[in-house]
Amino acid sequence: MSAAGATRNKEVASFRTRLFTAIMLIVATLTALGFYLAQRRVAADAERNLQQTFQTELSSMHKLEELRHAALADRCNALVAKPRIHAAIEDDAIDLLYPSAKDELRDLMEGEEPPPEETAQSLHARFYRFLDNTGAVIKPPNASDVGELDAATEAQLSLKELPSTQQIGYIQSAGDIHEVIAVPIFSTDTGDLVSALVIGFKPLELENKHTGMQSGIWVDGHLHLPALAPSAVTSLNEKVTIALANSESEQNYFRVEVAGAPQLLFHKRLNPGSLFPLAYEICVYPLAAWTAQLHRLRWQIGGAGVLLLLGGFVASHFVALSMSAPMKKLALDSEENRAERERAEAALASTAEELERSTRYSADASHQLKSPMTVLRIGLESLLEREGFKPEVYEELSTLLHQTRRLTGVIDDLLLLSRMDAGHLQIASKPVNLSQLVDEWLDDLGALADSPDVKIEKEFPRGLFVAGEKRYTSLIVQNLLENARKYNRAGGRIRVSAHGNGSEVVLTIGNTGRTIPPGENIFERFHHSSSPSAASGHGIGLNLARELARLHRGELRLIRSENDWTEFEVRFSAENGVNAAG
Amino acid sequence: MRGLGLLSLSAILSAIPASLLASGAVEGRVELPKSRSAPVQAKRYEIVTKAGVLSTQPPLAVVYLDGNFPRPASLPTKEVAQKDLTFVPALLPIEVGTKVEFPNLDDQYHNIFSYSPVKRFDLGRYRPEERPIPSVTFDQPGLVTLRCDIHEHMRGLILVLNTPYFVMTDTAGRFRLDKLPAGHYTLKAWVDSRTTREKPIDLKGGETLHVDLP
Repeated sequence: MSAAGATRNKEVASFRTRLFTAIMLIVATLTALGFYLAQRRVAADAERNLQQTFQTELSSMHKLEELRHAALADRCNALVAKPRIHAAIEDDAIDLLYPSAKDELRDLMEGEEPPPEETAQSLHARFYRFLDNTGAVIKPPNASDVGELDAATEAQLSLKELPSTQQIGYIQSAGDIHEVIAVPIFSTDTGDLVSALVIGFKPLELENKHTGMQSGIWVDGHLHLPALAPSAVTSLNEKVTIALANSESEQNYFRVEVAGAPQLLFHKRLNPGSLFPLAYEICVYPLAAWTAQLHRLRWQIGGAGVLLLLGGFVASHFVALSMSAPMKKLALDSEENRAERERAEAALASTAEELERSTRYSADASHQLKSPMTVLRIGLESLLEREGFKPEVYEELSTLLHQTRRLTGVIDDLLLLSRMDAGHLQIASKPVNLSQLVDEWLDDLGALADSPDVKIEKEFPRGLFVAGEKRYTSLIVQNLLENARKYNRAGGRIRVSAHGNGSEVVLTIGNTGRTIPPGENIFERFHHSSSPSAASGHGIGLNLARELARLHRGELRLIRSENDWTEFEVRFSAENGVNAAG
Repeated sequence: MRGLGLLSLSAILSAIPASLLASGAVEGRVELPKSRSAPVQAKRYEIVTKAGVLSTQPPLAVVYLDGNFPRPASLPTKEVAQKDLTFVPALLPIEVGTKVEFPNLDDQYHNIFSYSPVKRFDLGRYRPEERPIPSVTFDQPGLVTLRCDIHEHMRGLILVLNTPYFVMTDTAGRFRLDKLPAGHYTLKAWVDSRTTREKPIDLKGGETLHVDLP
C-alpha cells in the first residue's frame, strides 16, 4: 500500500507539474499576444492621434493663412479700383502711376515691419510694383517710395503675361522670402486687362510654440525655414527638393531626421496654378515628444505585461495546486473504486458460478429423480392392478400412487424451473386460444374427484387469443385454477374473467376462501404459507406461473386478497390482429 | 434818342473787323451713332465708355469750326457742376483759355481730378460750401477726362477747342453755327473720344451753308 501510495503521490506531483507548465504556457502566450496587440494598438493610436493633432494644427494655421490672404486680397482689390490708379493707366499718365499709388498705398507701406508673431494680423507691405501690359515690371521713378529691391528680385516679379486672376507667389531674395500677391487691373473704360499690381509681404511664418511645429517655404529649390539652423536647413532642403520632385499630390508628409531628431515633415502647395514659380509650405513637426511618449507607453505596457506574467505565474501555481488536489482525491477514489469493482466482480462471478451450479444441480436432480419416480409409479400401478391383496393394502397402494404422481408433478415443475433459470427454456410463440384453454381446464376442474362444492362463474368472450406457447400458457392457467379450487371453501365460488385490453389480454381469476395475509411472499420459490391449511402445495406453482408469465412478456400478480376473496391477474401479450374482432 | 441809338449801333459795327461783318452760317446734320436706349426727353445726358471710347449717352456731337482765330482778351467762365454723383453737363466744349468752375451741388465730398495730358489737375476734396468755387483754366486744346477720386464711376468730358465757334448738336444730330466769318475752314464734328469727322468748307458772308457730316 505504501509503495502504491508513493507511486500515486509521484503521479499527482507530475500531474501538478504538467498542469502548472501548461497554464504557464497559456498565460505567457496570452500575455505576449496581449502585449504585442496592445503595443501595436497603442502605436497605431498614437500615430493616429499625432496625425489628427498635426492636421488640426495645420488646418488652423492654414485658416490663419487663408484669412490673411483674403484680407490682403481684399485690400489689393480695393487698391486697384482706385480712380487715380485707373486714371494714370487709362488716361495715359504712367508717370503719375507710382505717385498716385504712393498715396493710395501709404497705409500699407508705412511703419515698420511687425514682429513675426504679429505678421498674421498685419497687412504691412514690403514693396509694390506695377506690371505693364506685357507683364513686365514698370520701373518706379523713386524706388525708396515703393520698397527697394535688388535687380534680381525685381526681375522675379515680372510675369510672362498679365494675370487675369489674383496670383500668389513666393520669391527668393538674399536669404529672405517674400510673399507676393499680384492683382489684375482691368480698365474701367474698356474692361481690358491693362496692368497688374504686385505687392510684396512678409510671409506668414507659422510656428506653434506649444508643439514646436515650424513652418517654412520652399520655392525654386530654396528652403526658407528660419526657425532651423542653416546647416539643418541645407540638409533638409535636399530631401525636400527630392521629395517634391517625386510628389504628384498637392500635399503629403513623410518622416525625416533633422539634426538627428525625428520629425514629421508636411508639404503643401501654396500657389497651385500660379504664374509665379510653384512654392510649397513646409512644416516640420518634431516627433521627439511623441517618440518619448510612445517609449513610455511601451515601457508601461511592458511593465504591465511582466506584472501580468508574474500574476499569471502565481495564479497558475495556485490553480495547479488546487486542481491537483481533487486529482489526488480522484486518484485515491478511483483506486478504491477499482478495488470495489474487483470485489463486486468476484462476487458476481461466484454468484453466477453458484447459480450455474445450482441450476445444473436442479436439472441433474430432476433427471436423477424422474427415472426412479417413474419406476416407482409403474410398480405401484402394477401392484394395484393385482388381485388378492387385503383392502387396506389397496388403499395404502392408492395413497402411495397418489403421492408418487404428486412427486412427479413437483419434479416436472422443478425441471421446468431449472431450465428457465439456466435460460434454456425458449418459447415458440403462437396464437393460443385462451378462452378455449380456460374452458377445458374448468371442465377438468369439475371432473376432479376431490372438488369441493364451488360455483364457477365465467365472464370472457370466446376466441380470445394470446401470444405464447400453449403448453406453458396452459400451465399458468392450470396453476391458478387449481389454486382457486384448492384454497376455496365449501360452498364458495370461482370467477374467471378475461378481456382484451389493447396490446394485452387480462385474465382474472378470483376465488372465495381464506385470504393471504399481507406481506406474505407467495411468489417465492418453495414458499409455504405461514398459516396452517388443509390444502397442501409444494410451493413452486405460483413461482413457476409467474416465471412463465414473464417469459411470455406478461405478468402475474395478486391484486386482491381480503374479505373472503382472493384474486389473481395475469396479463398476456395479445396476439396481434387476432383479437381485433373480439 | 433814336438817332443816338442808330449812331451807337453803327459805331459798334464799325469797330468789328470787316471779315467778321460778312457773317455766314452753317447748318446740317451729324450722323450720330445709334442710341441703344430710348430717346431721352430730359436734357440730361452722361458720359459712357464703350470699348475704351468715351461718348455721351444719348449720343451728341460737338460741331466746331477749326481755324486760326484771334484769341479774345477775356472769356466767360463756364461751369461743370457735380450733382447727384454726376458731372453736369457731362460734356462741356470750351474755347482754350476758358476758366471752368466746378461747384459741388451734392451734399458730400467730391474730388475732381484729371490725369489727361491736356490738363492735369487735382482739386482735392471739397464740400459744397467751398469758396471760392474750385476752378481750372484750360489752356491747351484737347479732351480732358474728369474723374472723381471718391466716386470712381463718375466721368466728365471737357472738350477744349482752339476756336470760339462751336455748338452741340441735338439728339438728332442737327446743328446750326452762325455768325461765322467768311473764309476757308474745316468744319469738324467731335462724335466720341476717338471719332472726329471733318469737312472743308468755304464760308461767304451772308450765306448759310448746309453741311452734313455723315
